[in-house]
Amino acid sequence: MNQKPAASSDDAMTEPHIAIAARNVTLSLGEGKARVDILRGIDLSIEAGKTVALLGPSGSGKSSLMAILSGLERASGGTVNIAGADFGTMNEDQLAVARRGRVGIVLQAFHLLPTMTALENVAVPLELDGQHQPFKVAAQELAAVGLGDRLGHYPTQLSGGEQQRVAIARAMASRPTIIFADEPTGNLDGATGEKIITLLFDRQKVTAATLLIITHDPELAKRCDRIIELRDGVIERDSGA
Amino acid sequence: MKTSDFAKAWTIARRDLRGRFVGLRLLIVCLLLGVATLAAIGSLTNAITEELANRGQAILGGDLEIAVAQREATAAELAALKQTGTLSETLRMQAMARLPDGSDTQLVELKGVDAAYPLYGKFSLESGDAVSAPNPGDIYVTPALMQRLSLAIGDKIAFGEASFTVSGVIADEPDRLSEGLSLGPVAITSLASLRTTQLIQPGSLFESKYRLKLPEASDPGAVGDKLSEQFPNSAWEIKTRDDGAPSTRRFIERMGQFLTLVGLASLVIAGIGVGNGVASYLRGKQGAIATLKILGADSAMIFRIYLFQIMAVAVGAIALGLAIGALAPLAIIKIAGDVLPIKPEFAIYPLPLLVSALYGLLIAVIFALPPLSRAKTIPAAGIIRGEGGSWRQIDRQSLTGVGLAIAAIVALALGTANEPLFSASFIGAAAAILLLLTGLGALIRWLASKAPRPKHPLLRLALTSLHRPGAQTGQLVVALGLGLTLFATLAAIQTSLTNEIRSTVPRDAPSFFVLDIPVERADDFRAKVAETASDAEINIVPTLRGTITEFGGQRVSELETLPEGAWVLRGDRGLTYSATIPEGSEVVEGKWWSADYDGPPLVSVDQEQGAALGLKVGDSLTVSLLGVEIPAKVASFRKVNWRNFGFNYVLVFPPSVLANVPHNVAATIQLDTAKEDTLLSILPQQFPSISMVKVKEIAAQIGDILDQMATAIAAAASIAFFSGIAVLIGAIAASRQARVYDSVILKLLGATRSQILTVQAVEYALLAFLLSLVALGLGLFAGWFVITQIFEFTWQPDWGIVLLTLGIGAVATLGIGLLGSIPVLSAKPARALREL
Repeated sequence: MNQKPAASSDDAMTEPHIAIAARNVTLSLGEGKARVDILRGIDLSIEAGKTVALLGPSGSGKSSLMAILSGLERASGGTVNIAGADFGTMNEDQLAVARRGRVGIVLQAFHLLPTMTALENVAVPLELDGQHQPFKVAAQELAAVGLGDRLGHYPTQLSGGEQQRVAIARAMASRPTIIFADEPTGNLDGATGEKIITLLFDRQKVTAATLLIITHDPELAKRCDRIIELRDGVIERDSGA
Repeated sequence: MKTSDFAKAWTIARRDLRGRFVGLRLLIVCLLLGVATLAAIGSLTNAITEELANRGQAILGGDLEIAVAQREATAAELAALKQTGTLSETLRMQAMARLPDGSDTQLVELKGVDAAYPLYGKFSLESGDAVSAPNPGDIYVTPALMQRLSLAIGDKIAFGEASFTVSGVIADEPDRLSEGLSLGPVAITSLASLRTTQLIQPGSLFESKYRLKLPEASDPGAVGDKLSEQFPNSAWEIKTRDDGAPSTRRFIERMGQFLTLVGLASLVIAGIGVGNGVASYLRGKQGAIATLKILGADSAMIFRIYLFQIMAVAVGAIALGLAIGALAPLAIIKIAGDVLPIKPEFAIYPLPLLVSALYGLLIAVIFALPPLSRAKTIPAAGIIRGEGGSWRQIDRQSLTGVGLAIAAIVALALGTANEPLFSASFIGAAAAILLLLTGLGALIRWLASKAPRPKHPLLRLALTSLHRPGAQTGQLVVALGLGLTLFATLAAIQTSLTNEIRSTVPRDAPSFFVLDIPVERADDFRAKVAETASDAEINIVPTLRGTITEFGGQRVSELETLPEGAWVLRGDRGLTYSATIPEGSEVVEGKWWSADYDGPPLVSVDQEQGAALGLKVGDSLTVSLLGVEIPAKVASFRKVNWRNFGFNYVLVFPPSVLANVPHNVAATIQLDTAKEDTLLSILPQQFPSISMVKVKEIAAQIGDILDQMATAIAAAASIAFFSGIAVLIGAIAASRQARVYDSVILKLLGATRSQILTVQAVEYALLAFLLSLVALGLGLFAGWFVITQIFEFTWQPDWGIVLLTLGIGAVATLGIGLLGSIPVLSAKPARALREL
């Protein structure tokens, strides 16, 4: 795998900063005859501030790779370094804490907390991270995604697109180093989905976060700096390699 | 751990809960039921015992009471008492009331009172008048006696050698409670009039009571102690106003303790409902939990968030339960009416409420910790896989928490018990039954899984529902099983006791016990009985009453508390003398005296009481009779068959010791039922001093008391059953999704709704049948054990009532199961398949 120098906005820096570094990552489920190898030796290095699309057919291991890189799952083998933190050696609780301020996640089914308002949903990661004035920051994030007038609405009172905007605001609120988005438009119609993608990229530019998107859509993939294609648990093609 | 972590958790917990208790309804209902029951029992017990204490003066009839058996106070004793305070004297005894024409008689508690009576409280008649001692020749009677002898005001009744005019019907006798159990209705006359009956003779069975109204600041206990020291050999039984009715108080406390334990068992069942409710609630929160983890909440934070939620709801449910329980005595007092010994004023009693709240909290902790412990292990990645993670692990910290809470409950139960040993036995038995039921539940599941598959698909589905993953068969066996077992046990014990009291006793017991037969007329008495009923069996024994004042070198008056089980030391006891070993007794240690023994006083003691007193053969034992102490040596211990319905005595002396003490004799008479009434009308005329106790009537009285106790216990036990029903409802709700799925697939394959309902009916019928079988087996064993091993009675339950009790429980289980199935039938296949 190529180790790219760390990127920096300072012209004096020559080595781009590496946000995601995965070496020989494997993931297997089950044992013995029931064992299934989902990822079979992924080597990956992603520069900070870049947008990367993860493409591949169903069952290729995209979601599993994203789960490992975002700290939602522990790899069976290999090393995973996310924004300077060695995710491979952490337990579940350590991963949860490590995600604070480092990783933001946007999922296909939005996964907002149904008993909390939009404002409260966005405030939760800030509160968990002990950040100052969480509600003020949350309100600003919601305004940034165009929901400044929906602060007190519950998820059931929001459309699908609006819910995904809330999810994006929540993912970005703590200014994480990396944003993972797993089929963010999968539950949305075409027009809405387009708006969400545009919003996602706009927010990425503002926050300078690294963005990794799982998608089936080649057109969306082309909007990214780099396209990585997975098949049967291995990287088949990597435009950034 | 930073304080701010708790603050974060509380903030998120409140937000997430936001008044939505729908998922925690089962927790609320179960805790509410259990805590309300315990609070009601504790509040009512406290109310009655406090009322007994508050009304102590009126109940006792004074600040201090000195009672002596078979004699009146000596002049010296009287003088000493009069110096202490205002004195009121009463005499009471059993006597036969006779109609002037001899057509009817009735055993009565005859009481003579002086002009100072009552010192406290109001003695009132149904006419509304407050009265004192009746005029000479007059008598006041209770409504029961009026009815029994068909009396009217102005009618005459005779006692002994005297005739009285009924001049009033008693409405309230203020010291009735402290007089204890009465074998018949009450009649009250003046002391002077009582003496004209000639029933007060040396050796007669009567009790003199001297009540004192003390000066304002006096300490009755200290006064009583001083009087005891002044007259150490008087064999007085002293009571103070603080404990005017100790037997009643002991009964209420014991009953309250037993009901509390039954209520606690019910709360444990409710705990199963709590656990199920919490598990179900947290399953519904899996998505939220995984999301929170994605957002950075670790497992400790998840635990805190949902622990705060569950405990907040639990505290609310407990508070509501306490409110209901605190107010419940109002309703119970109204419903119970005269069954209660005393009608207390309404008040809030903080201690039983606090104890009930603690029990509720501890139960909530015990049953909520395991599902909470599992919930915090829900992985964040589950949100991607759509999995909930493993629900089997419970971490060590939570296990420790559960263990500590269980220990706290046991400590609380034992610490608040009047009789810790009894409570410990009950807890042990209940724990054993719970463990047994848990094992049986697992066994039933296993048997269902191994049973041959029925050919019919609907029956097959019904059987497999009992052991499918997620089936709550085991929990239902425990929850419903305990309630049904309690009912079966109660039904078996109550019907067996009732049959014993109402059938065996009248069959095997004598027709009459006759008291106060003058010893010099014993032969006349025997002859008169034989004249009336030649085939009557009659047994005559001398009978005296005395008090144990010393045993094994220990003066009873110096004891701070009585040895456990030594009831023989409480008050005066029946004594007798005999040259030969009495019928129904067997010497197990020591030696019986010769028929003509004339040496130093000896005594033969009942084996169990001897053990309670720690006596050995050769130890000393002193009794006080008629004011005279008689020191004796223990010659032997006897095993007494207390069930032979004859005259059985704890203490038996050789004739040389007691034959010359003034006394009467008593008799048992066994004869043909048809001749009982004849004898009852003839003997009191010929022997005016006697009291004839008709055993059947006493048996009926005791039967009524047992029925009342059984009702109270059944009421407490019913909470266990209702808690089990709540668990059943929770189980139905928890399995709803699976049942909808089954229903939809069956419809897809062509089954009609009635066929689907049949599956549910078969499943619940099978469950109800198995539960009834389990409850029958356990209940009958427990009942048999209590009746034969503890009471040592004959095992003779009413099978019809036992089976009916279980049948009702089974039908309720089936009915509720089917009711819960009806919504499942209406699930639309297309929509359900999209949602499932």
